[in-house]
Parts: sequence; structure tokens; C-alpha cells
Amino acid sequence: MTTTSPAGAPPAPRPAGPPPGRTARLIAALGPHATVLRGAGGLLTLIGALLPWATFVLNKGPYPDKATLQYFVAPFGVTGFRWQLLLFGIAALVLALAPVPARGRLLRGLAWGIIGIAVVNGLFITVEGGGLGAITVTDGSVACGAVVTLLAGVLVELGARAGGIEPRPVWTWRFGPWVERAVLVVVYVLMLFVVAATLTSGGTGGAANRYSGAVFLSFLAALGGAFAALHASGLMTWVATVAERHRVFSVLVLLAMALALPLTAAGNEYWMTVAANIGVYAATAIGLNIVVGLAGLLDLGYVAFLGIGAFVAANLSGAAAAKFDVHLPFALVMVISAVIAGMFGAVVGSPTLRVRGDYLAIVTLAFGEIFVRTAQNNIFGLTGGSNAIPGIPQVELFGTRFSDRIAVAGIQLPAGVLYYLLIVFLVAIVMLVFSHLKESRLGRAWIAIREDEDAARAMGIRTGPIKIMAFLCGATLAGFAGAFFAHKTGTVSYESFRFTESVTLIAAVILGGMGTVPGAVLGASLLFVLPEKLREFADYRLLLFGLALILIMRFRPQGLVPDRHRRAELARDPADEPPPGGSTAGSRAEVAA
Amino acid sequence: MLATFLSQIVNGLILGSLIGLIALGYTMVYGIIQLINFAHGEVFMVGAYGGLFMFTYLLPTFIQRQWYLALPLLLVGGAAVSTVVAVLMERFAYRPLRGAPRLAPLITALGVSVALQELVRNFYPGATAALPFPRVFVQGTWEIPVPGGTVPLRWTGLLIIVLSLVLAAVLTAYVNGTRMGRAMRAVSQDSDTARLMGVDTDRVIVLTFALGAALAGVGGIMYGTDLGFVNIDMGFQNGIFAFTAAVLGGIGNLRGAVVGGIVIGLVKALGGQYLPGGTAYDYVWIFVVLIAVLVFRPQGFFGESERVRA
Amino acid sequence: MTRRRTIVTAAILAGALGLTACGTNRQESTSGGAGGASSCDTSKGTLVIGMVAPLSGGLSALGLGMSHSADLAVDQANQKCTVPGYALAFQAEDDQATPQVAGQAATKLASDPNVVGVVGTLNSSTAQTVQPILADRSIVQVSPANTNPTLTLGEQATTAPKRPFPSYFRVATTDLIQGPFGAQYLVQKAGKKNIAVIDDGKTYGAGLADQFAKEAQKLGATVVAREKVGEKDTDFSGVIAKVRPSSPDAVYYGGEYPAAGPLSAQLAGAGLNVPLMGGDGIVDPQFVALGGRAGDLATNVGAPAESLPSAKQFIADYQAANYAEPFGAYGAFSYDATNVIIEALAKAVQGGTWSEDTRKAVVSNVQSTNMQGAGGPVAFDEFGDTTNKVLTVYTVKGDNFAPIEGSTGSFQG
Repeated sequence: MTTTSPAGAPPAPRPAGPPPGRTARLIAALGPHATVLRGAGGLLTLIGALLPWATFVLNKGPYPDKATLQYFVAPFGVTGFRWQLLLFGIAALVLALAPVPARGRLLRGLAWGIIGIAVVNGLFITVEGGGLGAITVTDGSVACGAVVTLLAGVLVELGARAGGIEPRPVWTWRFGPWVERAVLVVVYVLMLFVVAATLTSGGTGGAANRYSGAVFLSFLAALGGAFAALHASGLMTWVATVAERHRVFSVLVLLAMALALPLTAAGNEYWMTVAANIGVYAATAIGLNIVVGLAGLLDLGYVAFLGIGAFVAANLSGAAAAKFDVHLPFALVMVISAVIAGMFGAVVGSPTLRVRGDYLAIVTLAFGEIFVRTAQNNIFGLTGGSNAIPGIPQVELFGTRFSDRIAVAGIQLPAGVLYYLLIVFLVAIVMLVFSHLKESRLGRAWIAIREDEDAARAMGIRTGPIKIMAFLCGATLAGFAGAFFAHKTGTVSYESFRFTESVTLIAAVILGGMGTVPGAVLGASLLFVLPEKLREFADYRLLLFGLALILIMRFRPQGLVPDRHRRAELARDPADEPPPGGSTAGSRAEVAA
Repeated sequence: MLATFLSQIVNGLILGSLIGLIALGYTMVYGIIQLINFAHGEVFMVGAYGGLFMFTYLLPTFIQRQWYLALPLLLVGGAAVSTVVAVLMERFAYRPLRGAPRLAPLITALGVSVALQELVRNFYPGATAALPFPRVFVQGTWEIPVPGGTVPLRWTGLLIIVLSLVLAAVLTAYVNGTRMGRAMRAVSQDSDTARLMGVDTDRVIVLTFALGAALAGVGGIMYGTDLGFVNIDMGFQNGIFAFTAAVLGGIGNLRGAVVGGIVIGLVKALGGQYLPGGTAYDYVWIFVVLIAVLVFRPQGFFGESERVRA
Repeated sequence: MTRRRTIVTAAILAGALGLTACGTNRQESTSGGAGGASSCDTSKGTLVIGMVAPLSGGLSALGLGMSHSADLAVDQANQKCTVPGYALAFQAEDDQATPQVAGQAATKLASDPNVVGVVGTLNSSTAQTVQPILADRSIVQVSPANTNPTLTLGEQATTAPKRPFPSYFRVATTDLIQGPFGAQYLVQKAGKKNIAVIDDGKTYGAGLADQFAKEAQKLGATVVAREKVGEKDTDFSGVIAKVRPSSPDAVYYGGEYPAAGPLSAQLAGAGLNVPLMGGDGIVDPQFVALGGRAGDLATNVGAPAESLPSAKQFIADYQAANYAEPFGAYGAFSYDATNVIIEALAKAVQGGTWSEDTRKAVVSNVQSTNMQGAGGPVAFDEFGDTTNKVLTVYTVKGDNFAPIEGSTGSFQG
């Protein structure tokens, strides 16, 4: 690193772009042999898939689950990541020979998938087998599947680059509206199956599936490669434009797909419970998205509003430990929780009249800590203190408890499915509220404040009340979710609303993409599904979480679904990049004045 | 009564000067690159564990037994470990984000904080639970007689007060009196102009991180020596206190950080003694004071003065 | 720059490879899946003993100790062919010490038809979420650590006890017994009349301290101060200065050893040279390493370990198994809780086959448990609480706790 480079220099070249120097010369030299490289890589992938991967049966049971020799007995019995590798290998071979648009780009996606699978499984067998001997040579037995596959992946990647990476093709096909809608339905159904397959890949773990974490990671790598290839083909972009043309239809079909999840392989009690919890955090994250994503006010104690909603609901639920001996209907409780949380939101937001930027972040952090501490001390007997408020009754409708197993039209649905359906509707409502707010006069005012508060005020926006409105709206949504949370979990304890949860919520908003409707839901889903799927690596859960935050900020600060307004700001377009400290020094000076 | 009051003042001063020492790191980094370095509390924790590692595995027994040999070595060792961690952190986590929107480095800082804490928990032997820390200073208490009783002042507490104030004074002198200090002030006022004037901003920023971390490392060692143990959580809570102190004092202001730290120490000690709810709510009072100060004087105690930011 | 980075990356990778080396951890003759190698008949399949405990985050030291101890019990059962026809597997799920994650973990276990019973949880608030989920499927739950009386006695624990969940048991002693027992000793035997009571605000500590204070006052002592410290606090000088003017002759602390040890040291440091007393949460050699002083007291459940060969056996076996973390405060009870479930299972299956209906038999067998565990005799009363209400007072001698001769007894209220 040269010390003279300006502080705001563009980041290091992406791995995709051709870096200057030796690598570029190597790629250029390989140019004429691109097809050979691609074909050889594809072939080698096939071979790698069929080679042995581990030199011995791992101590916790065989991995991969079928021994190599079993293929000769049952040639179609290839399972697990080997089956995925075979698909990738065949696809690479076909692409090496067939003239498909943007095949270099497509092959690069496949190469990433192959490398990912090789690395995940190779590393896992190495660690689980206690050393490199497990994937090379031990006691006379040889296993080089991982090494060969890694080499194959590298060959495909080199071949793809040597042949040149074409620009992504843009398809402008237009069909009749009903044909396009049919295409969308097919795509969304496929998406539903991919989601269900991802959730169930590797089984539920535990004693029956000891390698579920590794299987899941390997599946993710394959999925990532497949998505990269699909994206490269330009088809995903086309589908996105079609979906944009039929927006309302898309939303309705997606809602239907979400409601249909219980009918898939993921439709068991466990995933229904996890999904219900994800829904709670997604709804809360959307509320936070108003405050952080739209209005640009960082809130580090946001989970307190979820907690306030939950404690209010717990006290009105008729639970034995509740302060008030009343049992109100659930719908009413939700409204009350939301209103009270919203009032607290306005109170917490009121310092925004005087405090700005990082100072505000600290004020919100302080409110969060005060909430946890007072809840722990059972303030006014409202929170149960360290004993929590247990025994909150289940939501009931027409005599059916929402935790019960029910059967509809002869189909046995898993327990907790009613909670799942309820939270899907709630999240849908919250998303609807968010998108309407965002497009409203209020939403535009928030965005204006986020972009430049002084300019916004100069344009006649009354920034004070509007900032408080952001807190109020956000907190209301969180309180809404809190009421659901109380009944679903059955226990409300201050332990559920600590600083880490606030950080996780912010991470969800940022990972998904700030200020976007699906962003917060996507972020929350990822941040809560991953720890569930990777339970066997629980020791490293928080470590990985911390590293993930660092890496996301480094490589994709705009999130997975970037906002259009936001994209310009966060994609680091050198043109409108603020000098370090420059724009902020101005606001600081203002604060001091 | 008086004895109790004075005892709580002493307690507040001990905790406060330690918080102030950590707060210097927050305030300097903020002054230079406007970043809330959330991971600074963990740098303090890592310094303590570095010192513990050095004492347990590196120092020969005869040095371990003589506190006047062991303490300086540990202070230097703890500061060194903290500095290395902070410089690596700056280089690999924050520098690539220079110029990114403000939220990005803040989130990174949260990530670094979690990651550092978990690294120590997972990889330092026995760190899942609290670990005893060598008491490398004179043990015992000076019972100061006052009307109606005595006020206990432990020697390790006195060490914290004296060393923290001395280090803060040295740092202020350095920032105000040396060439490098002038470069730091220049970068904090306008980094672009400073660069045009030939200031090597990257070096200044690294130095700022290193100085703050060294102080935090020293703080970590003194903390361990005073309390006789270290744990993983010590960085988080004290880090939040220290950050609050920096904000209270007017962030970017060295004097303010120390004063803010002492105010927090006193609020915790006296609030736990005299305010309703007692010690169960002492933590709450700190944040109530913080909110009150920010609402009525958003720039903190010293924010408005000549703003000699680190 | 790119090239230098490549070189650095390569160097780090090479270093990492060098560390792992070309070895393996291959073990010969594993049958796979079931853990230990044994010659038992496992033809009928694998049954699962679950656990819900905090395996990550701040409480992971305790949670991992629980998990390893239970794992040890399952391994031993496999080696001894305790359940004929079945192999046993142990499945520990992380609850992150938060109720909603505990609920997910419990649901995950509950939806596996081969789960026999669950050991856990550590926190009472997580137990409150786990109880109904497991009870719904009649899965037996045995907690080694929950002390909140309401878990077995219902909301009116002291006035109108009513068992809320018939499948929930615990081998830990509730606050209702341990706190008063400590008070009896400190007030009547040790003759302390002015006691300062401090707790850490968590379920275990706050409950224990409340019950202690109640009984101490009943016995004629004065509670001169009642304070709380933060769960992450480390500098207790504020609390101590507040307590000091009332010149207590003993301090009772409701909480665990990581805070109790330093608190004891800081008491002495502030010139308050009076003994500190606590519950079983502070009985650990680390208490002394962290600053506990000679003469500090603690109540511990059961008769002294020295008089229990089963306890010594557990400690020896645990050490032989080479787990990464020590068994911690709840290891012995987790071991016992697991064995309770295994024994009940063995009786319920008894050569037959397992089905989900067998779970009810397991619950009733656990109810009638009568065995000698590492923490003393294990049996349950009609609420699912342990009948082992024998406690012993320990005092710090040298670098560990030692039982006080003749202090073993039980609380008679």
C-alpha cells in the first residue's frame, strides 16, 4: 500500500476485473486454449465427483454418505454434493462446446460453484478428519476428490476468463400478459421449492444427521454458483423486468407462495416456529428500516420497542404473573401494544430535535440499556424482573389454539402453522404500510432529511416533527410485532431484548438493503435461518456474525437488494463521494454552534 | 455519613479515571476520522488478556514475584498487544472503508467488536469464564481518617488515578506540543487540506489508533491488577461507559474525555448510594445523565470551547 | 498492492496448512453414528437424549460443561448396554440464553420421534418456554439448574402449590430450600446478626437472596442492607462503600462464583473483613482463585462429595474423557439428570420397542426414580422437585471449599 494514495481511493480491483500484471499476462497467453481449458475443467469435475473424497470413514459416520465403489452397483445412486458436482460438470462441458450467449460469464458462475463445493467439503473433511491426511493419503488409501475438483474449478475459471467475459446479455422479449404471468408463476413456484430445499438440506441435524451443517454449506455453495450462472445468462434480469410490469400480480403470487410453504418439505413444526420468529424480527426490522433506512437516523437500542410491545401484551394476556388481571382479545392487545410502543418511540425520538448523527445513536443506545436494566429490575412490577412473565396463553380463534395441529381438507398441517400464517399476514401488512409510507409525502421528507437535513429544512420541511414521526412509525410496527412475539414464545423476559439483538436487527436491515421493502425481510431471514441451519457450529456463531458484518461492509455495503436512491450513495461512485470527514465536519460545526 | 460520601467519591474517581483513560482512545479516533470505534472497548480487554498471557507464559518466576519488575513489563506488554490489534484493525477493517458513508465503518466497528470478543473467548485458554489476574502491585488499603469514620483507598486504586491522569497529561502535551501532534490536529480539522500541506494522513490515523490503544492496554492491565481478575465482558461495559464519557465531555476533546470519565464514575458511585433504586439502577442513572446532557448541551461539556480536537 | 496481498494470503494459508499437518484423527473400529465402540446389540436403532442449554455467548462456560457431562452419561450408557437393542445418541441444542431461541431448539427436538427426553435448561426463563413445548408431546424434561420455584409449584408457589407440567422434573434444589438453609446456618450456628444481602439481579441469585433474607429475618437477624449489582459489573466498590457504614458481620451474595470471588476480595480490600456466604453457584475452586477468602461460606446440595463414591467416580470419568471445558457448576447434576432419563428409558423399553407412546411410560418411570447420583440420591416428589433436600455448608480452606463437619442437614421450615 503506498502511503501517498488519497484516502478516498477506489477499492482494490474486483476479482472479476482483469487485474494488471502477471495474472493478466497468463490469461492472455491462455486465450487460444480457452475451449480446451473449459472442456478439461468440465471433464475433471465429473471425475472429481466420482473419486473418493475421504481416505477413511470419519469417526462420526461416513461422509460423503455413499462410498465410491457403490456407484458400480447403483450407477444412479449418486447423492449429495457429488450429484450437484455431476450437474455442474455436465453443464460446463455443454457450455464449453455449445455457442450460448455470454458463455464465459456463465462458466465463471459455474466455476465459483465448483470451487465453493470443493472448498467447503474439502475443508470440512480435513477439519473433521483431523488433518490433511483425510483428503490426501492415509495408511495406503488415496482420496483426491477434493483436490481434483478444486483444480477442475480453477481450470473452468481460467478457461472462462481466457475466452473473455462477455457483457451480460439483455433480453427484451415481450409476450402476452397472461403468458408473462404464467412464466412468473412458474418462476415463483420454483423459488418456493428452492427455499424449501435450502431449509431442509442436510436434514434437521442432530444425532440423525451429523453432517447437516456441512451438507447445508455445500448446498449453499452450489446454489450460489447456480444463481451466478443464471444471473450471467441475463434471464434473472428479464424476469425482474417482467415482474415489475406485473407488480401487483407478483406480490399476490409471492404472498400465496409464502402461505404455501407449510405444504412443502419445510412444512414441519420446527420450521413453522423458526419462520414465525423470523417474521417477528422481519416486521421489527421493517420498522427499523423506516428510522435507519429512510430517515437515516441510526438507532442502536431499537429492540426495546419490540420488548415494550411484548411486555404490554404479556400484561394484558391474562397470564398468572401479569400485573393486570385482564384478558383482552388478541387483536385489541396488538393495537394497544403498538400504540404504547409508538408513544415510547416518540419519546425516544424527541432528542432528535436537538441531537444529531452519532450523538443520536448514543442516545438510542442509552435508551436501550435503560430499558434492559429497568426491565430486569421489574420496574413497577410490570416486567416480572428476572423471573420474566411466563405462561402467556396461546392465541385462540373459534376455540382453536394457534399452537395446535390442524387439518384442512384432509391435509394434516404441522403444529404452529396458524402462527405462521398469521405472521405472514402481519409481515405483509407491515410491508404494505412501509411501501406506502415510503412513497408518501412523509417518506419523501424522510429521504430528504437523510440526504441533507439542512437542505431539507431550507426547502420548508419541518424536520423536527418529521424525524419524531419516523421513530413513532418504526416503534409502532415493532410494538405490533412484540404482541405476536409474547403470545408465540409464551414467555417475555428482558433477556430477549439485549444490545446484541439490536445489532442483529441493524445488521438485518443493512444486509438486506437499507430503505427497501424486501430488504429487511431478506436480511432478517438470512440472519435467523443461518444460525438455525449451522447449529453444530454454535461455538463460532457470534464470531462468524462479527466477521460477516465486517465483510459485508467491505464488499457490499449497499446490501443484497440495494435501494435505487441509496445505490448512488453507497456504491461508491467516485463522482459524488464525500471527502473523509468533509461533509460531516459541516454538520459537526452546526451541532457545536 | 461523611465517610460514606467520601468513600463513594473515591470509588467514583477510581472508576472514572479508568473510564477516562479508555475514553481518550474513543475521542481521538473520533476527532480524526469521525468514527465511533465501538471495538475500542475490546482493545482494552485484549490488552488485559495480552498482559495475562505474558505473565503466565513468558515471564520467569523471579520477575513474577517482584511487582516493581512485573508491573512495568506488563504495562508495556499490554499496551503493545492492544496497539498491534488496533493497528491491524485499522489497516484491514477501517482503512478500506475510508470515504464510505458513515454508517458503514460504524457497523464494521460493531462487527470487529463482536469478532474480537469471540476470538478471545474461543482461543484464549480458559477464557470462557473469568480468569484470575496477577496482582502485580502493592495490595492493601490506606484508611484515611475523616470525622466520623475512615475512607478506604486501595493502593491499586491510587495507582489507577495517578497513572491515568499522568498519561492523559502526557498525551495532551504530545498532541499540543509536537510536530506529529500538530499533524494530528491538522488532520482532525481538515484532512484534505492537511494532505495537501504534506501531512501523511494515513500515518497520522494509524498513530492515532495506536496511541489510543496503548492507553487502553495500560488501562486493561491496571484494571486486572486492581480487581484481580479479567473476563470477556469487561470490554463491552467499560467501552460503553468510556464512549459515553467521550460524548459527555464533548467528543474530540481530550480534556473532556477525562472529565466525562470522572463524571460517569461519580454518577455511578453516588447514584447507587443516594438515588432511588440504589445500586440496581446506577447503570440507568449514567444514561439518564447522558441523555440529559445531550439534550440540553448537545456538544458535551467542552464541545464549544476552542475545539482542540486530538 | 494486489501482488503483495496475494503473497501475504499465501503465507497465511501455508502457515495454516503447516499447523494442521498431514495427520488424521482416524479411530479404528467405530461402528459409526452411535459414538462409543461397543459390542452392544443396537439393532433396533438409535434413540436421542436432547439438551437445551446456552452453548454460545456469555453463559457458554456453564452450558458446555452441562453438555459434556450429559454426553459422558450417554457414552457410558452405550458402553454398558443400558438400553438393550438401542444405541443412544446425545444431541445438544444452543438456546443462546434467550427464550425464543430455546423455544426453537425445543421444537426441533420435539419434532424428532426418537427423542426420549431432554436435559435442561440452564436459565429459568428459557425453561418457561421449553416446558409447554415438551409437555405437549409428553417428553420428559429434567433440569439440572433451574431454581425458580414456580417451575414446579406454579405461580402461587408458597401458598397454593400446583404442578403446571407433569413431565418437568429437576435435580437442582429450589431457592425455597437453599436460601433458608443458608440463613439457618449463618444466623443460628455462626451467630451472625447483622447481614448485608447482595444479589446479581438474575433469576438464580435474586431468588436465592430473597429467600435467604426472609428466613434470616424470621430467625431474628437484621438485614442491614439489600443491594443489587449489575450482571456484568466487576468493580463492586460502590456497593461495598454503601454497605460498610452499617457494619455487617456477614455478607450474603446471591449469584455465581465469577462475581462472588472478586466481591469477596473487594470486601476485604475495603476493610470489611467479614465472611461472604453464597449458594451452590459459588462452590467452585475458581471462587478462591478469583479472590474468595478463607472462611467464606457456601451451601451446597447433597452430602459432601467425599462421602459419595459416585461423585468421585464422575469427576474421574470426566477428566479421563478429556473434554475441552471443565464440567462447571452444573456438570454433576447434568450427569445425574441424563442418567435419570436413561434409566427410565431402559425400564420403559425393557426389551420391547420404542414408539412415541413409550414417552408416557418414561415420564412415570422418572417420577418413581430412586438412584444414587453424582450429586447425591435422586428421587422426585409429587411436584417433580428433587427429594434430595439435604444440603451441606462448605467453607474455604486453602484453595478450595471443604465441607464443615456436621453441617449436613435439610431445611425444616
